Amino acid sequence: MANEPHDSPNPSGCWRTFLAKSREFAPVWTLLALILFFSVYSDSFLTLENAANILNQVALLAIMGTGITFVLLTAQIDLSVSYMATFAGVVAAYYTAGHLPQPWPIVAALLAAGALGWINGVGTARLGIPSFMVTLAMSLIASGLSLYLTRGRILFDLPPLSETLGSGRILGVKWLVLVAALTLLVGHLVLRYTRFGRYVYMTGANPKAAELAGVNTRGVITAVMVIGALTAGLAGVVGIGRLGSATPTAFDGMLIDAIGAVVLGGTSLFGGVGGIPQTIVGLLILGVLRNGLDQVSVDIYMKTLITGVILLAALVFNILFAGRKEA
Amino acid sequence: METTAPLLELHDVAKRFGGIQALSGIDFDVRRGEVHALVGENGAGKSTMMKILAGVLPDYQGTMVWQGRPLRLRNPRHALDLGIAMIHQELSVMPELTVAENIFLGRQPLRGGVVDWPRMFREAEAILAELGFGHVNVREPLERYPLGVHQLTEIARALTSGAELIIMDEPTSALSPMETRHLLELTRNLARAGKAVVYISHFLEEVTWVADRVTVLRDGRKIATLDARKTNKQELVRLMLGKEAAFFEESYMGGRTVEDRHAASEPVLVVEGLTRPRTFTDVRLELHPGEILGLYGLIGSGHFELGEAVYGLIKPTAGRILLEGRPVGIGPRRAIDRGVAYVPPSRRTGLFLEKPIYQNVTLPWLAQMSGLVPRVPREIAVTDGVIHRVGVRPPDPLKEVVFLSGGNQQKVAIARWLVEPPKVFVVSEPTRGMDVGAKEEVMKILRELSQAGVGVLLISSEPETVLAASERILVMAKGRIVREFVGETVTKERLLHAAAGELAEAR
Repeated sequence: MANEPHDSPNPSGCWRTFLAKSREFAPVWTLLALILFFSVYSDSFLTLENAANILNQVALLAIMGTGITFVLLTAQIDLSVSYMATFAGVVAAYYTAGHLPQPWPIVAALLAAGALGWINGVGTARLGIPSFMVTLAMSLIASGLSLYLTRGRILFDLPPLSETLGSGRILGVKWLVLVAALTLLVGHLVLRYTRFGRYVYMTGANPKAAELAGVNTRGVITAVMVIGALTAGLAGVVGIGRLGSATPTAFDGMLIDAIGAVVLGGTSLFGGVGGIPQTIVGLLILGVLRNGLDQVSVDIYMKTLITGVILLAALVFNILFAGRKEA
Repeated sequence: METTAPLLELHDVAKRFGGIQALSGIDFDVRRGEVHALVGENGAGKSTMMKILAGVLPDYQGTMVWQGRPLRLRNPRHALDLGIAMIHQELSVMPELTVAENIFLGRQPLRGGVVDWPRMFREAEAILAELGFGHVNVREPLERYPLGVHQLTEIARALTSGAELIIMDEPTSALSPMETRHLLELTRNLARAGKAVVYISHFLEEVTWVADRVTVLRDGRKIATLDARKTNKQELVRLMLGKEAAFFEESYMGGRTVEDRHAASEPVLVVEGLTRPRTFTDVRLELHPGEILGLYGLIGSGHFELGEAVYGLIKPTAGRILLEGRPVGIGPRRAIDRGVAYVPPSRRTGLFLEKPIYQNVTLPWLAQMSGLVPRVPREIAVTDGVIHRVGVRPPDPLKEVVFLSGGNQQKVAIARWLVEPPKVFVVSEPTRGMDVGAKEEVMKILRELSQAGVGVLLISSEPETVLAASERILVMAKGRIVREFVGETVTKERLLHAAAGELAEAR
């Protein structure tokens, strides 16, 4: 019985545009500021060699981050990606040690990760468990499987393809960086140009409206959880090549960085806004920050604290602007 | 009864919200032992008045007198302490807790700092027995009982907290006919026991049965206070609407005869015996190609849910929905592919405000329009066509929907369904909150669609909306279709009367 608000044109149109723009570009400014800062305070920072170094350092995160971007765009989250990466690496090494012909250990590793991702998806989309909880449980399952397969030991028999992609070079460029770039590229093309990509954005922007428009939103959410798991699996498979071994906890610690990089870039935790270009900026921010703090003489015990503060600031920023989102 | 002094009086009470005068010059009183009903259209000021009585709105003009002494309520707590309790339309109970806990919510009897369960159960049983519901087990969780008992729990809570004046806001809107009867009898008993009751309801039949006096509000003013035994539904509806209104709201019926068309065509949509507990019961309707069928009901009548069922969003427990003779099936995708279009009652539910118009328009059609890779130029061209047809301003497919006015947003929601003309178009509340010009434009689009052979199911709780375009009107009340208007002149008065008055038939 209250008075219905009547039609009103948008008095805040300019303000909205401004916010939208600043939201889009703030991460880029952050990145440029960091680069400038470290270039001034360190002689070794702004060199070609160091740039290649940074790319190499963020390559694994980039592979994982591609899948996380899909997941966040639908307003879900995957806390199991880093454990899935470890698990996939263990599976690849385990079957190589078991003399399964190549490339089947790698195929098995990706299939295993994909299957766990599918369970994440079904739990979230069909059973309605918050993805936060499902993937938290899945992180334990993936971690537990890694421990079970390795019996806690380190596996040194790796698929040759993992070794090539993880630590080999072609024409002077690390394969790892190329794999990361290719993953990002494919992710970008799918999100930006395919019907599925459109469904991902629309499902995240307003799930109810997407359902009303005939989009199979449950299918979309299941699919992004599988994609998140597959890219994590790929990161694990090439990651063991880079480390030279598969341990039962190899990539577990990458979770915060992987999700953090995607969010730092400006992809909304509430879905529908963001993408691979944003993720690339986020990855570079994180990479530059980590690398730069090594170059300048910062108290080594302060590094984690500073990274944490910057991540928190970016999250607050993200939430503040996401609050402007209607729907 | 006439001799007792009023328990509560309002003298010349007024309330403004910004530029809107919600209430003015209200004189009102309620006595012990009396049920005083308050009726009026949506927006007449009932809610505002009730909120003043319950202490929710402390800054009003005028005087309130409680038991002969002037006073100003500071907040709902203050009102409650004096003995004024409000039973809300949306129940404020905790279904997981026991009946007894719900009755004593927030003031459980204590012993040595812990809840005195035996005493609480004993007292809860006593009060329910007093109310004639001795069969309710107060140790059971409330959720085991139907909504009628939830309502009852709220009343018991009010009584045990020592309420003298009980305000009931649409207490029966969610109740079954049986539960409604019980509640009405209970309300009479409260008055008999010396309590004062202010009873607010859309259902005039109930009002004339339960009340001693009825006060009619219209446009924030008191129109009359009547003796409930000497008035009737017709008089109340007339007073609620005002004469001019009844005269003004003529329906759009002239010209075409419904019977002709029905003889000439098979119905495109048939709903048979559709039932879903607490939503709708045994609904039967036929929609013919080229027809605009209005479905009118007060809020909570189940008419919006019927629209959702046709689109496959909610599943009925019994009955069938046939499109061209075959069941529609479950889920929007199937409905869309079969030629059913749907616009939900809230624009925010159906649109992607932050996305450009073209993405809003083409989403249901992406698979048909192109393969795996949508062709954006084609999407924009298609969107351009349909938004020009419905007159979206500005007609820029790249503009985000959030920048459009409400009326134009609604046009986008409709334009989406013109890409592939539907066979059945279910539109819920298509003109809510729009100005007159935008309303007329939306109605024009619906009429054009019907002339092109689309069957339009126009669902609304605004009489004007239904009257403006429908050739045939069904009225729903409490989940049932209670009245059909065909080939006759319908006025807003008759419509409201049917929705509010003919519950006797529904029972």
